Amino acid sequence: MLFNSLAFAIFFPLVVVLYYSLPQPRRLALLLLASCAFYMAFIPAYILILFVTITIDYIAGIYLERSTGPARRIWLVGSIVSTCAVLFVFKYFDFFTGNFVALAGLIGWHLSPVVAHIILPIGLSFHTFQSLSYVVEVYRGKQRAEPGFMTYATYVMFFPQLVAGPIERPQNLLHQFSEKHEFDHARITAGLKRMAWGFFKKLVVADRLALYVNDVYAAPRNFSGLQLTLATLFFAYQIYCDFSGYTDIALGAAQVLGFKLMENFRTPYYSLSIGEFWHRWHISLSTWFRDYVYIPLGGSRSGLRRWLLAVMITFTISGLWHGANWTYVVWGALNGVYLLLGVATKNIRDRMFAAIGLPVGSLPRRAIMLATTFGLTCAAWVVFRAKNLTDASYVLTHFASGWNLHQIGTEQFLLRQMPIALAAILVLEVGQLWPGKFPVPSIVGRLPLAPRWALYASFVMAVLMFGVYRNTQFIYFQF
Amino acid sequence: MSLPSSIDKPSGLRQGVEAGAAAAPLTGVNQAGSAAMHIALTASWRRVAGSGILRIACFFGLIILLVYGLNAAINSGLRSLTTNQFGVFNRMVGGTINADILITGSSRALSHYDPRIIESTTGLPTFNLGLNGSQTDLQLAVLKTYLKHNRKPRIVLHNLDAFSFVMTREVYDPAQYMPYLGENDIYDTLHHVNPKVWWKCKYLPLYGYAVHDMRLDWMLGPLGLVGWSPRQVFFQGFNPRVGRWTEDFASFKAANPDGVSFEIQPAGVQVMRELIQVCQQNGIRLIFVYSPEYREMQALTRNRAAIFNEFHELSQDYSVSLWDFSNWDHAGEIEYFRNSQHLNAEGAELFSTDLAHRLVEELAQLSQPAALNAPPPSRPPVKK
Repeated sequence: MLFNSLAFAIFFPLVVVLYYSLPQPRRLALLLLASCAFYMAFIPAYILILFVTITIDYIAGIYLERSTGPARRIWLVGSIVSTCAVLFVFKYFDFFTGNFVALAGLIGWHLSPVVAHIILPIGLSFHTFQSLSYVVEVYRGKQRAEPGFMTYATYVMFFPQLVAGPIERPQNLLHQFSEKHEFDHARITAGLKRMAWGFFKKLVVADRLALYVNDVYAAPRNFSGLQLTLATLFFAYQIYCDFSGYTDIALGAAQVLGFKLMENFRTPYYSLSIGEFWHRWHISLSTWFRDYVYIPLGGSRSGLRRWLLAVMITFTISGLWHGANWTYVVWGALNGVYLLLGVATKNIRDRMFAAIGLPVGSLPRRAIMLATTFGLTCAAWVVFRAKNLTDASYVLTHFASGWNLHQIGTEQFLLRQMPIALAAILVLEVGQLWPGKFPVPSIVGRLPLAPRWALYASFVMAVLMFGVYRNTQFIYFQF
Repeated sequence: MSLPSSIDKPSGLRQGVEAGAAAAPLTGVNQAGSAAMHIALTASWRRVAGSGILRIACFFGLIILLVYGLNAAINSGLRSLTTNQFGVFNRMVGGTINADILITGSSRALSHYDPRIIESTTGLPTFNLGLNGSQTDLQLAVLKTYLKHNRKPRIVLHNLDAFSFVMTREVYDPAQYMPYLGENDIYDTLHHVNPKVWWKCKYLPLYGYAVHDMRLDWMLGPLGLVGWSPRQVFFQGFNPRVGRWTEDFASFKAANPDGVSFEIQPAGVQVMRELIQVCQQNGIRLIFVYSPEYREMQALTRNRAAIFNEFHELSQDYSVSLWDFSNWDHAGEIEYFRNSQHLNAEGAELFSTDLAHRLVEELAQLSQPAALNAPPPSRPPVKK
């Protein structure tokens, strides 16, 4: 079930009303049932895959806690291998066999490609990683194995974050299923406001910009440099608003039900370096890779060569996690290179800034760093968004060619949509100053009831009327 | 009337009951009981209100009111517009067209037939009811709606296309139909195309505008309410296209070197038959017109002969005239076309003049002296 669907508009209020009407012991069953219904709205049969991985990891968790010595390691490896095998079969089989056949062809082996053509279960990478983190945490002794199957299943399947995260850690979420959540007006309205903000990001910003981006990136050679540039900038906003909008809806929905999920984004485009960007973008995935890949590979404490390797492996796998395509792999590796170059050139850059009289923390210096980081990120997004590396290369080399101010719109994105798209980005940027010097929600919150409700209602109506509701699956669902 | 203290009652309820019991000696037992219940309910209600449920419910109630209100405002505003496609539909359902010659069909009808030229030549009020991106099933629905609200025309010129026998699969620009879903013929046809979508458009307020109005036409609604209409580009329903020939046809040829074919669907043939029957039942003379199509495109339509066989068969079965302008003098000249299917404004002017001449001849044969009162038109010079 999509958040931006009529079905969810009926489903969610119904679940909330039932949730607060039921006594505490029955709420867990309701959440599990609701989560199953939510997931089965996509492809019903795929719930069986989820059931298999949940059962394996649930049993593994219990035996990991009970067993000692090599048996523990066997349970850990068994659980990881079986969970990853599901991921491999459904997500990477065609990619790896295709590449294997191509590689074999290079050395004279002419094999017939084996293509499974399996539809990827929605959000497979997310709940797989959440399951893996549970097993590893139990193995490390940082988390008690969950004795209740229903609790564990609800932890993996909790519908607000089932298909696109945040990828939760058991220490944060698991215990919340045993706690009683009272009806709290302040918390619920805060959750609803967050959901509204998420819908704005997704429907008004991301999905409108997607009309432009999809047209241009479908056949980039048909568009001018100006259109390629606009499409790339729009994609940066699209992917951010699509994913962080989903996260806002997920966190808001969980908050309405009394749960607190981890934050996934902290205005990443305000980062002053690529390193900082990755501390603010898809935080639950970044920390997952840090804890379960980067640190086990040695992290930054095992010498330069090991560190370089750890960074590159982590980012490349992170790219592959996003999809079975070389564009994602290159995108991940490119970010790794960015990060390493950033560290390697830090002293040189500091000296350059000092030479031109821009001290640490000065506004021009921060502006240059922010613009550079955003530019590098956009260049990486080109590789991420392009259909293939040839298209990516074309876009990256044609930003400056054939600018024509009379040729901006596309077939799906008529020019009359441009003011709406730009206004939406402006509202987004103003809204993102929430924690800063212009805290919009608290200013609105202090208004008397009538103007406050008028503003809230206008916002809801604006989302309703200026949103785009067609072909609008969340980008990260496919991962 | 007191409850055992062991029963765990909500505090509001308990206080209410106790307050009622205290008042009993003064007002009588029944009155006291009723008052106690009233107070208990009030207290309970206050508790619910205090918890914020009521506030949240009120806010969503406000949103629902706004949704219904805005929906009504948009519908009403769009139905007040006097220009362009909405203006045409508004005149149609308002019963103010009442033309003697009516043109129906797709975007080719819309942009090829200039009613001003036809009217000045024949002397008969003429109106163009061509509909962008439409197939025959929707064109028939619009014709039926027209006939419901307006005086019956004497002649219907129905423009034929290579895709005349293809049923609507996806409705082009759905927003143009939203204010008119109360018209049964239009709604039934749209519902037949996609039942899952169109019932929501009709019965869920704002759904159609929010979900299916990609061109944001709904924004014209509030403007229409205050009496504003966009600049008129539909002249008696005719929408001339000012664009010039582009490279699209070259790309099309490259992509389809073996040409293309259009389906002849039995349902599409049936709809054409129904269109003929509707006209004949209403005593309207129907003329099929295959308006000019770029010559090279004709050669690229692989099953053109089969499509025309169907046209001829229908024409013979029902004694309907078929005027084929495939071999129009300028069918091979790109300066009169915008693309392979559509004439530009200059081409439309030339074609409309030629068509008007032929209509005058037809009307003469039908011994309609009134039609001959009009002065013969002067054909615009052909620009080379």
